[in-house]
Amino acid sequence: MPKYLFLQRSVPGKREPPSPAQMQDMYAAFNAWKEKFKENILDMGGQLMPGGKVVTTSSSTDGPFVETKEIVGGYMLVSAEDFDRALEVARESPGVMMPGSSVEIREIREMKDS
Amino acid sequence: MTSGPQTGDQPGASAGPGLVEHFFRHEYGRLVALLTRKVGVRHIDLVEDAVQAALLAALTAWTAHGRPDDPGAWLYRVAYNNLVGDLRRTAGRLRILERTANTGSESGDDPTLSYFSGEVADDMLRMLFVCCDEAIPRESQLVFALKTLCGFSTAEIALRLFTSEANVYKRLARARDRLREVPPDVETPPLDTMRSRLPSVHAVLYLLFNEGYLSAHAEQAIRRELCDEAIRLATLLAEHPVGAVPETCALLALMHLHAARLGARCDGTGGLLLLEEQDRSVWDRERMRLGAAWLERSAHGEVFSRFHAEAGIAAEHCFAPSFAATRWKEIADLYAMLERVDPSPLHTMNRAVAVAEWQGPQAGLALLQALTPPAWLAGSYLWDAVLGDLHRRAGNLVIAQQHKERALASAPTEAVRDLLRRRLAAAA
Repeated sequence: MPKYLFLQRSVPGKREPPSPAQMQDMYAAFNAWKEKFKENILDMGGQLMPGGKVVTTSSSTDGPFVETKEIVGGYMLVSAEDFDRALEVARESPGVMMPGSSVEIREIREMKDS
Repeated sequence: MTSGPQTGDQPGASAGPGLVEHFFRHEYGRLVALLTRKVGVRHIDLVEDAVQAALLAALTAWTAHGRPDDPGAWLYRVAYNNLVGDLRRTAGRLRILERTANTGSESGDDPTLSYFSGEVADDMLRMLFVCCDEAIPRESQLVFALKTLCGFSTAEIALRLFTSEANVYKRLARARDRLREVPPDVETPPLDTMRSRLPSVHAVLYLLFNEGYLSAHAEQAIRRELCDEAIRLATLLAEHPVGAVPETCALLALMHLHAARLGARCDGTGGLLLLEEQDRSVWDRERMRLGAAWLERSAHGEVFSRFHAEAGIAAEHCFAPSFAATRWKEIADLYAMLERVDPSPLHTMNRAVAVAEWQGPQAGLALLQALTPPAWLAGSYLWDAVLGDLHRRAGNLVIAQQHKERALASAPTEAVRDLLRRRLAAAA
């Protein structure tokens, strides 16, 4: 079954943090989503720390690239029979419900032995 | 010890795995109260930030790795560490840390220990008394309690109190400004010395309940939430030696007896229903039982407060088998007692309504005609509605019509206007 990398993106900037009541709703929504798609979720992945370095053979600079409008904040590994199904998993995920947040889906190319 | 009637937290359907309803919100209140006692109310802002951050961390960690066995202790540990980190970063505040370390030997290696030491109720109550500082205006006290003890955000408070976020923010700031001035040596006084604030605490809880009960908000759940919070805090107060006085019991009786009828006050579309239109079979029997039990407990003592009178009136309505079989004489007497402990023309007007049911519209009108209503009452739709109704029933149709028109013109919401049209229908 094909595998997909989910990249959680969000627009940087100060936003009103969710209230405790909203957090409870988010917690419930996330768990319901996780339960619904438990067959598809291979690795819950995790959140990425802000900042980092970009390394080339000659140098290492501070990253991620400051000119980007969106910042990758987390990742996840999902398996699905096809891209449409992966889309469904992402579309219903709490990761796209917050304003300014999105999920990028990339299929992971299978390495075939020849 | 807890001989009083109780309601426990019920597991909520939408709370997520293994968490009771309102877990995050109530945990916020508990943690803010606990940590405020440790570092002092002057640092309330840092405490709130630390607790908020702990809840956010929980959201991430628990969804990824599952809920810990003891979520409350987990949150406390994270919030405590956040707070210590924040205080350490703030120069010149090391002294607080030292004091915390000295006084809180229980918080040495395992800060979770004090979480279980039965002090949580103490801390919640202390925070409630802190909110009710006499130097803070009543409206600010209410908003500050909703924020710190009930865990509502500014936007959520604004929605529930029918006001703007800016207004809520202003009221919160007023409370915070005052609390920052509290000298460190008196900022966490023992509960005993706060006992003098008890009337203030009662007033805030009463206000909190009424904001939910009398609210014109269309959504039932939102109104009920404020009533539930008032009952939760009042129960905490009644079960603690400092707050276990007859007034608190009477206040709780009043809340339960009103809450019992809350669901029946609206039709399916958010419209209000008259008492005689309400389906008495949907009144909440369990609430009525609790109300009666608290009312019984409130009678132990020499005190007769306004809450006793109001709870007595609510009980008469609750336990009357029908509108027609209501004991209007008892209600009229209770209103007279209420007037004596808490004089207000509003109570006189309500007594006139009861007297009209008991002895006829002329008797009710006679009471009102002896009264010179202050401007706030004379200009309200209630005054015109009552006069319109009584004059109609007394056969004075022309005067009744004038009052009806004025009542409709000053009704605050469409739901109230609909109610008035039905009530005053025959006056046309």
